[in-house]
Order: sequence, then C-alpha cells, then structure tokens
Amino acid sequence: MSIKSLSPGRGVSTRDRAERRLAVRMTAPSLILMALVAAVPIGYAVWLSLNQYSVRTAGLSRFVGLENYTTALASPDWWAAFGQTFLFAGLSVSLELVLGTAMALLLNLAFKGRALLRTVVLLPYAIITVVSAITWQTMFQPNLGLVTNVLSALGLPGGDVVWLGEHGYAMAVIVLADVWKTTPFAALIILAGLQVIPAETYEAAELDGAGKWQTFLHITLPLLRPAIVLAAIFRTMDALRVFDLPFVLTRGANGTESMSMLAYTQLRENRLVGEGSALSILTFLTVMVVSVIYIRFAGGNIRDVAKEEQ
Amino acid sequence: MKVFISAGRRRLALNAAAAVMAGSMLAACGGGASSQNNGVAAADPAAGKDATGSINICGGKDASGIYKGTAEAFTKAHGKVMAKYTEIGATTDEARTQAVQRLEGKSDECDIFLTDVIWTSEFASQGWLVDQSKLVEANKDHLIPSTVETTKYEDKYWASPFFTNAGLIYYQKDKVAKPETWQQLYAEAAKAPGNSFVYQGKQYEGLTVNFLEMLYSAGGEVLDSNGEVKIDSPQTREVLDFMVKGLKDGSADRAVLTYNEDPARLAYESGNDGYQRNWPHVYRLLNETKLKGTFGVAPLPTWEGGKASGVLGGWNLAISAHSKNQAGAVAFIDFATTPEWQKHVAMDFSQAPVNEAAYSDAAVVAKMPFAKELLASVKGAKPRPISPVYPQISQAIYKNVYAVLSGTASTEDAVKSMAEEITAAKKSF
Amino acid sequence: MSTLTTQRPTTADPATRRRAPKRRLRGEAKLHPLAWVFVVAVMGFSLIPFYWLVNTSLKKGASLSKGELFPGEPSFGNYLAVFQNAEFLVALRNSVIIAVVTTTVALVFASCAAYALARLKMRRKAMILTLILSVTTFPAIAIAAPMFSIWREIGLYDTLLGLIIPKLTFALPLAIYMLTSFFKEIPRELEESAYMDGASPFTAFRKVILPLAVPGLATAAILVFISVWNEFLLAVTLTTSPEARPVPVAIAFFSGTSEFDQPLGTISAASVIITVPLVILVLLCQKRIVSGMTAGAVKG
Repeated sequence: MSIKSLSPGRGVSTRDRAERRLAVRMTAPSLILMALVAAVPIGYAVWLSLNQYSVRTAGLSRFVGLENYTTALASPDWWAAFGQTFLFAGLSVSLELVLGTAMALLLNLAFKGRALLRTVVLLPYAIITVVSAITWQTMFQPNLGLVTNVLSALGLPGGDVVWLGEHGYAMAVIVLADVWKTTPFAALIILAGLQVIPAETYEAAELDGAGKWQTFLHITLPLLRPAIVLAAIFRTMDALRVFDLPFVLTRGANGTESMSMLAYTQLRENRLVGEGSALSILTFLTVMVVSVIYIRFAGGNIRDVAKEEQ
Repeated sequence: MKVFISAGRRRLALNAAAAVMAGSMLAACGGGASSQNNGVAAADPAAGKDATGSINICGGKDASGIYKGTAEAFTKAHGKVMAKYTEIGATTDEARTQAVQRLEGKSDECDIFLTDVIWTSEFASQGWLVDQSKLVEANKDHLIPSTVETTKYEDKYWASPFFTNAGLIYYQKDKVAKPETWQQLYAEAAKAPGNSFVYQGKQYEGLTVNFLEMLYSAGGEVLDSNGEVKIDSPQTREVLDFMVKGLKDGSADRAVLTYNEDPARLAYESGNDGYQRNWPHVYRLLNETKLKGTFGVAPLPTWEGGKASGVLGGWNLAISAHSKNQAGAVAFIDFATTPEWQKHVAMDFSQAPVNEAAYSDAAVVAKMPFAKELLASVKGAKPRPISPVYPQISQAIYKNVYAVLSGTASTEDAVKSMAEEITAAKKSF
Repeated sequence: MSTLTTQRPTTADPATRRRAPKRRLRGEAKLHPLAWVFVVAVMGFSLIPFYWLVNTSLKKGASLSKGELFPGEPSFGNYLAVFQNAEFLVALRNSVIIAVVTTTVALVFASCAAYALARLKMRRKAMILTLILSVTTFPAIAIAAPMFSIWREIGLYDTLLGLIIPKLTFALPLAIYMLTSFFKEIPRELEESAYMDGASPFTAFRKVILPLAVPGLATAAILVFISVWNEFLLAVTLTTSPEARPVPVAIAFFSGTSEFDQPLGTISAASVIITVPLVILVLLCQKRIVSGMTAGAVKG
C-alpha cells in the first residue's frame, strides 16, 4: 500500500517534516549507541587485518594491505571451514525452520496444557550454550552416554559408534545439538508472525471450503513469510558463526571446523592478529552477503522497508 | 564493590564518545609498532629481602587452592609484602588470552603471571617478562633440572618453576601387569576388551602431550637443540604406526579419539579398561570409586630398545615486565620455591613439587604414595618444543596425529605435512 | 489493550472492538490425534537432553562414571554446593540486573527505532537496516580485545554497566528487526483514525501501535532476555572479579579438584537452577505471546 494515499488532509509538507524529524529522533538512541560501542572496535579490527604483527619480536609490525586476505583465501583450511560451516548452517537452519514452523502452529493452538508446552519447548533455548554442548557430549559418550546406552539396550545401530570421533556422525551430533537448542528461537519468531494474521483470513478460506492443508499452504505460509525470513536471517547469521558447539564437542576434528574456529585459532591461540582479524572480517562479509541475499530474494517485509527510499 | 561505575567515573562515562576515541588510539598504539625499546629488566635475587608493599599474582582458576594458599602463607611468612591471587581465566586458554591482553596493554595490574610451561618462550620473546636468570641460578641447587629447562629461552631463564606435572600410567592390578615398555602395555591391553588402554586422543593439546611422551621415549624429537625441525624421522613413523595398530587391534578403544583428561578418567572409572594414561590428580579421584585398592600407579614405560621419557606439564612463575613491585615478586618466588614450601605444595595441594627432596619426605609420601613413580616420570621428562610459535607447532602435531589415528591420512602424508607446517610456523614473521 | 484485537476494521468503532473477545471465547480446541503425537514428540525432543542434564546434576563423584540412565542414589549435594557458593549467588544477582535492565532499555530503544523504520518517512532506510545488521554480524571474537582496552581506559571494565552497554548494543539489532517486521504487519487504518482524532504520530505509536504489538514485544523481550542471559564471550572478556561476573562466567569458574577435572555435577545443577528465572519469565509472558486474536482460529 502506498503511504501517500494515507496522508490526511493536513498541511502535507509540515507534517512531512515533523515526521522525518520524529523518525530521526526515534532511531537516534539506537544508532548512536551502536556507533559508539561497535564502530571503534570494528574499525580497529579492520585496521589490524591490514597489518602483520610479529609473533617473534615484540612490537614489530608492517602494513601489508590485503595480503592477509589473499593468504586466507588461498588456504585450503579456509575453504574447508567455509564448506563445513555452510553444510552445518544449511542443515541446521532448514531443520530449525521446518520444525520451528510446526512448533509455532502448535503453540498457537488453544488446548489444555498449552502453557506447559510453551514453557517446555523454550527450555533448551534457556540453557547456556557451553553447558548444552557438554550435555550433548556426555549423551553421546561411548558406554556412559544416554544415547549410546539406549541404542545398545534396544539393539539399534549406533550404540557402538564413537559419534564424535567419526566424520559425518560428529557433524550430525553438532547439527542435532544446535537444532535442539535454537528451534525454540525460530518457533517464537514465527509464533509472533502468526499473531498478525487476521482471523478473517482463515474464516474466508473456511467459507471457500479450503482444506486445512490447503489453507496452510496457500494462506498461512505466504502470510508467515516475513516472520520465517526474519527467523532465517538471524538463525543463519548465528549458524554461520558457530563456535561453541564444535569447539567443545570436537575441537574442529572430523570435518567440523568452522570459520569462527579458524579465526579463533589464529587470533587467540597463535596470536596472528592480522591473519586472525582478516579471517574474522571474511566471516563477517560472508554472513553479510548471505543476509542481504535473504532480504533481497526471500522477500519478507524487511525488504519492503528497505525499498522505501524517500 | 564496583557494581555500577562510581560517581567520580560517571563524568568520564558521559564523555564516552571522546574517551572511546582516545582509547582506540591508545589501543592502536599498544598493538602497533611500538617505539619503546624493550630493554629487558633483570630480577635481582637479593631484592626479595627488603621488599615491601603488595603484589598481585594472576593466573587460571585455582582448583586445588594452591595459588591462594601460597599467597596467604607468603603474606604471613614475609610480614612486609602482601600477596593476593586473581583468577583471570576459567580455562588454560582463557587465562593465556587474559594474560596476553594485559601484557599487550602494558597493564601493571599483575606483578606475577602463572604461566603454563609452554608459554615461556612466547612471553619472553615479546619482552613481556623480567629476566630471572640470576634468580634461577641462585635457586638452582634445590630445583629439579628438567623443570628448570621449561623456563629457558635463548639461554636465559624467564620464570621459576612453581609446581610440575608428568603423566602416569594407572593400571588394574587384577587384570594386567605393571607396564615396563609401551610395547608390553599395548600387547597386554589387546588381550581382552576389559584390558584396553585409555589416553587423551581428542584433537587438542593433550594429544600432542600423549604423542610426544611416546616419541621422546622412542628417541625422536620435534626440534633439535639448534631449533632445527627433526620431526620427519623414522621414530615419528614408528610411533604413529604403533598407535594406529593399537586402535585397530583393540589395545585402545576408538573412543579415545574423543577423550580429553576428564572423559578418559570417567571411562576408566567405569571399570572397563586395564590401563589409563593421565595426570597425578586422578589418584585421589580413583580412590573415591569402586576401583579403590585395585589399581596401581607406574611411571610412563620405556620404548622397547629406547628409554623412559615423558613431557612436562606444570606452572611457572613469571614476573611481568610492567610490574611496579619486582622486589615483592622476587620475594614471593623465593618463598614459593623453597624446599620447605615445596613440601606443602604436595601435602596440602596434591601438586608435584619442583624440589627433589620433597618427594621422599615422609609426610608427602603418606599423602602421595606414588611419589617415587611421579619423581621418576618428572626427572625423565622433557619440555615440549621451545619456541615462541609453540601453539602453531603443537597444532601441526595434534592435527596430523589425529588425522592418522582417525584414519583420514596416511602416516607418510601426516609426517610430511607435520614437518612442513612446523617449518612454516618457525619461519613466520 | 487486549480489546484492540481486530485486525482489519474499517473504522475503529467500539462495536468492532468488542467482537474480538467473543471469538477468543470459542475456547480450547480439541487437538487432532496426530497433533497430539507431534506434541509428545516435541516435548520428548526438548526434554530428553534436559532430563540428562538433571540426571547428571543429581550424581556425585563416582556415580558420574556409571552411565546410569536414572541416578542410582540421587544426591542433592550439587544443588546444595551451588547455593552455598557465595560467588554464584552474586553472579545470579548480577545476571538478573543485567538481563532486566538490558531487556527493558532494548525494548524501549528498539520499539522506537522500529516504529520509525516501519511507519515513518525517513531517508536511507536500506542503509540503516544494513548497518544495524552488520553490528550484530561482526564476530565478537574480533572485537573483544579492542573493547577490553577501551573499557579499561574509560573505567567501564569489570562493572555491570560495562556489561550492559555492549550487551544492549548487540541485542538491539534482533529486537529492531523483529519489531520492524511486526509493526509493518499492523494495519495502518488504526493509526489513521487516531490521526483523525488529532493525535500526533508519537501518540499514535504509544496509544495504538504499542498495545497492538504486545505479542511482538513479549517475544522480543524473551529473545533478548535469553540471549543476554547466556552471552559468554563479552562477559568473560570484560570482567575480572567475582563481584561483576554474570552466571555463565561464574559457572565456567566452578572447579573440580584440579585443573583437569570438570565439575560436571555442579555445572549441571547450576544450569538447571538458572533455568528457573527463565521459566518464570516465560510463564508470565506466554499469555502475551499469543494475543488471542487468532487463538482458536486454526483449530486442529
């Protein structure tokens, strides 16, 4: 809908100006805070990424331009981590969105015990990430873990697998742990999206004799799009920066090293500050590109807002 | 309590914009090429006597209570210097990050840093530490030589050993024989599933330690005394093949590929194994389980045709170059390394002393019945490769060893890339 | 506020408003059996790992290595130990202060910004949106070290305010995006009628939009609260004394008897304990999350 059509008959230009002033005032606190707190450290990290700092001689550094970036982009480690991170993000985010949508629909229903369900479903999200990683680690521990013991007791395959010690299995555990912990996040956002779908829409569909599945597919889902895209953006951003889970569960072994872990190793363990900052910024750029693609092409109303250039 | 910023600082916070900019300039200077010439200060062994004031010792989580305990005992004993301990990191990695941040920022918050033995050369090369050569020379007669070696970088001593650590083998006396050689241990472990050997095989620093313990006893090395890379050797191949064979024939369960210290201990405690490689702290924990009385403790075995060796762990005391009370720091180090206090290190806190006599003290032996075995392990052990780029060297080792153990790389390829990566790390800027 | 629930009124006359509660009163729907299966599956998936955490928290010493699926001799010793740990209680207080203050301020800041973005005329919205997103996308690991130096310079290091400020900054983008998206879906007609009555845009925001956005605000509150509550890296970088540490850092400082042993039992017990404030928060908010304007409409 066009905004102009809604302008009431008052002096348009005066109201226009007042509105713009109000808009600036209302966004200012957030923007100023972000600029003050984030801009300087981010700018500093960018500067670091353009230099090399000696790990052998104190205080020795030299400006190297984009060399840290070209080194990173030429290294097989970066591309391995890149692929592994996208595999992880693709698997976990798609599972989270499907499950999260289903959960949201369920949470939206009025039935006995919904308060309990809403609380239970959110529990995993409330557990500290590192603790949830440790919990999953012990669940899959050979001989002592819940999963391995139950699988063995039931005679199912997988009981004698060293899950975190095998390619594929290790990734599966990490994906599962992430889905467990963050599906509630997606579900909540999508649930909020459900709240703004007018009830009349459903009634109209009902009158038209549409089945439940059809109603969901042709009415609910398209109207939920903004919420789903929003959940997708924020989940993908987090998933592409995954660190705690692989760090605790495998330390990056068995094809689970992520981009953030690589940056951590260079920045913290090896104190290769230039290279590490470049890796961080490459991770950042990757995530930004993916987010912008989402906003542009997956639709949702954030795109509509972004298009309102006036 | 500094919950919210104090009134005096509120004005500062209000001027945050300006201050943030100023701070960033400072940070930029701190990280960038510094004009300061790092004329390294040297610690004077005699300074301790006249020391006054207070000192702050910074390090990791004080699990055994030794750090706070030593600080308190020192304060009481010295009378003029007050020592306190600050936990700056919950894990070893975090403690190092926090120490580095303070040292890079030239902070005088900490006078002494508890440094893991593998950090010494890195911190020394950056000019962050006070040269302790004279102090170490003065105390050397009552320190175990192998522990002193961990503080050496470019012919100077940069720290004093506080307490040490070495691997031990725990074994089930009812099921398996006392290990004499690695070969015998593995053969015995392969005989029955309940005999198997658990060690730390996860992809992390602990795997470097476990691998080097065998490599050193087989006569291999990572760097020679001139710092040349010597990892590409028949011994490296032999040890790797031996470890791989052990995983295949059941000497060691594949689960070790996911174990660091704690999961290895828990697995062993469940009673399904015959041998465990772990640190001395496990002794007390095992005695709280049903295995009490059934297990023995042995020093690390020898390599068939080789010798017994091992890798030293433990923590050193390094004086920050930015300390404003170096005399107080010297006094503390003098106290912490005395033969008398070293007994308490074992008796009160169950850590391995750096003084040899402490191991035969009756009170210590009562508390640590395996003191003799521990001393043997400590004396036979060597430091991990000494280099300012040690973290990169260790990564090259544990990543490639892990690749071989998990079956994703051949021994030959792994040895080659280990050598390449270590050489590259040594050449780094 | 819950009377303002109709979505597409042509006028905001009281009659329309009153229609909504009736619809909600249709009451609790009967769930399809298949939906019940799904409810059970979801509960199971959410609860099993949580059960394992509780199971671990009830084990002490040697029983941790028995691999029992039920604690053989359940012990509350770990819980007792956590409550006797003075540092943990201080951390709990710190976390509550930090999370409550941050969430409140974040909601105020974000709803204002979101209203401007979703509703008002403004230049360069695309650029602002991108900048906001980039703040939260930047890897925290790369800014932790510079932030550490700056915070020490300006006296914010090791204070609660020093934690609230960055946590607020990095929580804002999610809240702004969520609320922008939510406000955008609220029909304009309601504000327009407020304008007709002579309200200013800000009054329309306060009196019309905010009440309608309660489900969105409640959701944003829960998400911000939990993310602030759980954040670890900045918290560990910017604090050094037990007096300023929040819960996740305090738990990391729990120690066993040596540097190598991880006190699984007490860590688990503390983690179970700290879910309680969050459970209370969710129980308080859960009715607000679902506004009632659509409840019962999607019956099974």
